[in-house]
Amino acid sequence: MTANYNAEPLLEVKGLKQYFPISKTYTVKAVDDVSFKVYPGETYGLVGESGSGKSTIGRSIIRLYDPTEGTINFCGMDISGKMSKDVKEKLRIQMQMIFQDPMASLNPRKKIKDIIGEALDVHKFYNSKEERDHRVEAILEKVGLAKEHADRYPHQFSGGQRQRVGIARALILNPKLVIADECISALDVSIQAQVVNLMKDIQAELGTAYLFIAHDLSMVKYISDRIGVLHLGHLLETGTTDEIFSNPIHPYTKSLLSAIPIPNPELEKNREAINYDYKTSGIDYTKGTEHLVDGSHYVKCTDEEFAAWTK
Amino acid sequence: MSEEKKTREKILDVKNLDITFETTAGKVHAIRGVNIDLYQGETVAIVGESGSGKSVTMRAAMGILAKNAVVNSGEIIYRYRDNVGGIDYNPENDASAQWKEADILKMDKKWIRKHINGRRIAMVFQDPMTSLDPTMTIGKQIMEGMIWHYKIDKKDAYDRAVNLLKEVGIEDAEKRMKQYPHQLSGGMRQRVVIAIALSCNPDLLICDEPTTALDVNIQAKILELIKKVQKERDIAVIYITHDLGVVAKVADYVNVMYAGKIVEVGNINEIFYEPKHPYTWGLLSAMPDLGTDDDRLYTIPGSPPNLLHEKEGDAFAPRNAYALEIDDKLEPPMFQISETHWAATWLLDPRAPKVEMPKELKARIERMKKEAQANDSKL
Repeated sequence: MTANYNAEPLLEVKGLKQYFPISKTYTVKAVDDVSFKVYPGETYGLVGESGSGKSTIGRSIIRLYDPTEGTINFCGMDISGKMSKDVKEKLRIQMQMIFQDPMASLNPRKKIKDIIGEALDVHKFYNSKEERDHRVEAILEKVGLAKEHADRYPHQFSGGQRQRVGIARALILNPKLVIADECISALDVSIQAQVVNLMKDIQAELGTAYLFIAHDLSMVKYISDRIGVLHLGHLLETGTTDEIFSNPIHPYTKSLLSAIPIPNPELEKNREAINYDYKTSGIDYTKGTEHLVDGSHYVKCTDEEFAAWTK
Repeated sequence: MSEEKKTREKILDVKNLDITFETTAGKVHAIRGVNIDLYQGETVAIVGESGSGKSVTMRAAMGILAKNAVVNSGEIIYRYRDNVGGIDYNPENDASAQWKEADILKMDKKWIRKHINGRRIAMVFQDPMTSLDPTMTIGKQIMEGMIWHYKIDKKDAYDRAVNLLKEVGIEDAEKRMKQYPHQLSGGMRQRVVIAIALSCNPDLLICDEPTTALDVNIQAKILELIKKVQKERDIAVIYITHDLGVVAKVADYVNVMYAGKIVEVGNINEIFYEPKHPYTWGLLSAMPDLGTDDDRLYTIPGSPPNLLHEKEGDAFAPRNAYALEIDDKLEPPMFQISETHWAATWLLDPRAPKVEMPKELKARIERMKKEAQANDSKL
């Protein structure tokens, strides 16, 4: 574990709201009052079903969207409102993103060395062409590719290799935070494990923090130090991986954990997922406030709900 | 399971299937001698990575292979009883019903369409948004197959469609009949696809990654739904998937596929508790395990082979830490381990050095067994 919890948080999201107005009378509240922190060198996993707002949070943080409300603090800079040129430049260097589908996120007409080197070009991070090539080769090696791969095009790679290129591109500027948005869900099981291990190795070496967005809870458990559970734009429960998995409090978290199929046939035969339906559950997410369970484990609910759930 | 098997009839028998695809880059040898059999009411899972040939095998069984596919050898025998009494006819209750056989590879497209596709073998695909027609109401899409196959009138088909929607757990069935696919959520759409698949009372349901596009809690519901209708209607189900968790939940038998071959087959407990093939070991170990605090995941080194370039010997050898010298020269045959358990690895040859599965996996299996026992005693 490389996380440094005594340091100032690397990223602090407070009361983030991201609304999308559809018409005069209808607004989609994709993210509604979400707060969490990511510490240097830590992996924070965001999980939730599709439409829960997990990708939107990632995109708001890296400022692909303009947040409706709330503050985002990154490396001691406020990046939620209008940014000065200097702050923008820092944000674009220190925060990077890995996308879900490596085939869609790599330019098919560019060579790997130019895809990876583009960030170096934009930020003028080298003095000579040799230095640029050298840095691209070094990062390729780090993600488990050979330097011969630098002159190839994306279509010449397998899915797992392409995702390694995506990781190399995110890491070339040596960022402090990498947002990985479903970066393994398009890969095969055996390849998923390779990529997750690679990300862990890189973290141990460079101390990069990850915001790991995924819907596959079992993989999230492997890679994350702490987890946040999202549903319908609300962060319902957050805590260390252990706290969430061994002592889930919110009924939604419980239902989510019970739905993960376990590769143990004798056990799985008799298991049934716990049903959870927001409409009939009688829980109103907008009324909930943060309640401390213990340690760093928080649940968003009303006082009565909290008393009933922790009984 | 084995006693039960004797009274049940075999309905699908894939024998030594071998398929190549003619592509602009050359011949791709996608299926290299696959054998699968399936009995009434049974659930079989086919597991493997993308490109291992699991979908191609099932497409061959439905007679819907792509145009550039060439079948080099093999048979796909489908056994069925003639439907003489319309949509509600149940041959189980008709003593005079005779079993017939057809080799799907030899039948023409028209015959397959009339007798097999949708009527006796139905398929559920991965992405419900692409398998449903966006321009047609849900109701029309469910009724279509019944009207085409059984020539029943519209009113009758409508009533049956409403009942089907209720059966697959969709509320307000009558309102949904008039809606279009985009008005439904992903889980709902997959329920509609299942309703369509069930509409003509098939004997066999092929589910090609039915829940990969869905969230875990919806996945659990869909799997429970398929299990329920399978039990009620006593139909056989083939699951194509790469998720071993799903397999553990649903399957009776498991076929593990690699590079166009089945490398291990056995019943569910044999595959999960006594796997013999190094590839199965790898697949099981690479699954994230919720029960341990291990920091690293086991990985199978390398990536699946490109079937454009065939290699001599065992296709898995380059990724196999336990590969023997002979693996590079000669393909291993299927070795029998028990009545139902077979694996294609030279490690099972009596002359091979004795190799045990990795000890991490062994420890994990021991733990899984204990958990299952503890759970049993609780019940």
